[in-house]
Amino acid sequence: MPDVLYLFGIYGHPELSPAMKAVEAAGYNVVVPSVPGFDGKSGFTAPEQYLDWYTIWWDAIDALGSGPYHVVGASLGGMVAAELAILRPEIVTSVSLLAPFGTFDASNPGHDIYAEVSAKRPPYLFAKDVPDAFVNRFAELGPEEFPVARYLCDTAAANMLWPFGERGLGKRLHRITQPRLTLWGELDVVSPVGLAQKWGGAEVIAGAGHLMEWDAPEEVGGKLIEFLAAQD
Amino acid sequence: MKMMWFHLMPYPDLPENFNKENRSVWVDIDPALFDAEVMADTYDKYIGQLVFAEDCGFDGICVNEHHNNGYGLMPSPNLIASILASKTSRAAITVLGNSVALYNPPVRIAEEFAMLDVMSRGRLVAGFPVGTAMDTCYSYSENPGTLRQKYAEGIDLIRQAWSAEKVFAFNGKFTQLRTVNPVPRPMQKPGPPIWIPGGGSVETWDYCAQNDFVYGALTYYGYKQVRETVGGFWDRVDANGKDRNPHRLALTQFIGVADTDAEAQKLYREPAEYFFNRSLHVHPGYTDAPGYTTEASTRAKYKSQVRATVRAKQANHDLTWEEMVENGYVVIGSPDTVRETLEAACTELNVGHLCTMLQFGNMSDELTRYNTQMFGDKVAPALKTLHAGWDDPWWPQYAVGGTRYDKARG
Repeated sequence: MPDVLYLFGIYGHPELSPAMKAVEAAGYNVVVPSVPGFDGKSGFTAPEQYLDWYTIWWDAIDALGSGPYHVVGASLGGMVAAELAILRPEIVTSVSLLAPFGTFDASNPGHDIYAEVSAKRPPYLFAKDVPDAFVNRFAELGPEEFPVARYLCDTAAANMLWPFGERGLGKRLHRITQPRLTLWGELDVVSPVGLAQKWGGAEVIAGAGHLMEWDAPEEVGGKLIEFLAAQD
Repeated sequence: MKMMWFHLMPYPDLPENFNKENRSVWVDIDPALFDAEVMADTYDKYIGQLVFAEDCGFDGICVNEHHNNGYGLMPSPNLIASILASKTSRAAITVLGNSVALYNPPVRIAEEFAMLDVMSRGRLVAGFPVGTAMDTCYSYSENPGTLRQKYAEGIDLIRQAWSAEKVFAFNGKFTQLRTVNPVPRPMQKPGPPIWIPGGGSVETWDYCAQNDFVYGALTYYGYKQVRETVGGFWDRVDANGKDRNPHRLALTQFIGVADTDAEAQKLYREPAEYFFNRSLHVHPGYTDAPGYTTEASTRAKYKSQVRATVRAKQANHDLTWEEMVENGYVVIGSPDTVRETLEAACTELNVGHLCTMLQFGNMSDELTRYNTQMFGDKVAPALKTLHAGWDDPWWPQYAVGGTRYDKARG
């Protein structure tokens, strides 16, 4: 069963998205790395340099096995997936990017969710209701600990993306040589669909926001399965 | 107890409906609200008030740093401090301070503070705040997750730069310098006293206690609301095996003095309402940068709702004059009333440096000077005897201050 490496988005990984569950149901073994900070565990300290994040992510990915993988990266994870394809091409068979961060357009910056208090951020990530998985993020840790775990998870994401999510990735995109699928939510307010131009265009998912796997699971799942099938 | 005169330098001419029609006084405030002529006059008046405070016998005069801000017009407090160094001769020039992580390389602070110390002939207090999230993360886009690491490393560099007798190399995580050799070095040796303005983070309390820095509880919400923060600080002083010298602590407090309690109520209501309901209209989203607060402080925050409650009220703009007075945000009254209140507060909290804020909001120059003189003449003398048994090793070596200065006598 081919392995699909799933790299999660800006709000962490409370559970596998409906779209990725569809991929799993189609016969793919989906693996997800556990990344310090995003796991909400106590003791996380943000690395001082952005490049250090790739040591952290590479270590987490390597802990899953040696690959190679079909890589699906969403949001922040899309940025990581693109870098993985560029910097470690030997473990990336194909790459699917769902509204990846990593580029920025000052004339169309999108909504800065970090300029909202934490409780008000989730609605900006979805075009539809915030899924229960995100409403209850880390709730299993109990009333005193879950806000701390959320804070640490958000700290990790913000540390990677601050202030724009621009990390010079546009200059390296031509280094992606693997088959690539790029999807973008039509109603994405944090990473506007216009940014898709910087990635050479994207298929637009109608009615979907930034975390499109939850807003349009059937369409996104279908496109992923179709793309993955074409690679095998 | 040392009497300090602290200026925020608020813009005095925000429209009455500011908090209804604007999202925030900080970060994304509409630049069209500012008039350069008003600004120029304001700087003149405010600098004059700080100089006047020395004349009125204040031990120190204080400035601070804010960015993109409608109630703090000092993105560079060092510019103001350099003028004060020239126009005064006795008071401590207290810069509270330079947000270390915003200076690249931080040795720039070592240079500018050393210049100020030399220009003032050894009267500088060097303040090193982390800086608010609004200033650092949102106005200057510093990464919140690494801000504190960068800040601490910067202070290490500055201290080394001040005290090193030879040229040295600095290989930090955030700053690498092949040749560190600031000219001038400070007049005070090994450097000016260091004060750390803080907002209640657990780590800052330990940092101050362990390094013997003054902790500055720079609150806008007065002595009653800061009890928890101050208590936490003194607990960490104890835990670190240090004495409870009250001069380890500085506290800000808005104050209005008049001949009678009734007169004070009449005089200070408008500027207080201007400050709390216009100047402090901050978009809550600019206070919540992920990573700005440490894990320990985040955990502590969820166990305390005190500050959250205050912020919630502020966000709703429902602070009334009665609340401001009742809750101690503003201490107002006759000299006796103010003296008794502050004596009790500074005894309870064990404060050795009281940073009075006698100008606030749109208070006029005339009223500010009246307030300053009333406090200097009728309140300060009694308060200065508080904690008289303690030395103050955190006071600038060459700042005299302390007594009313009669220019006619020289």
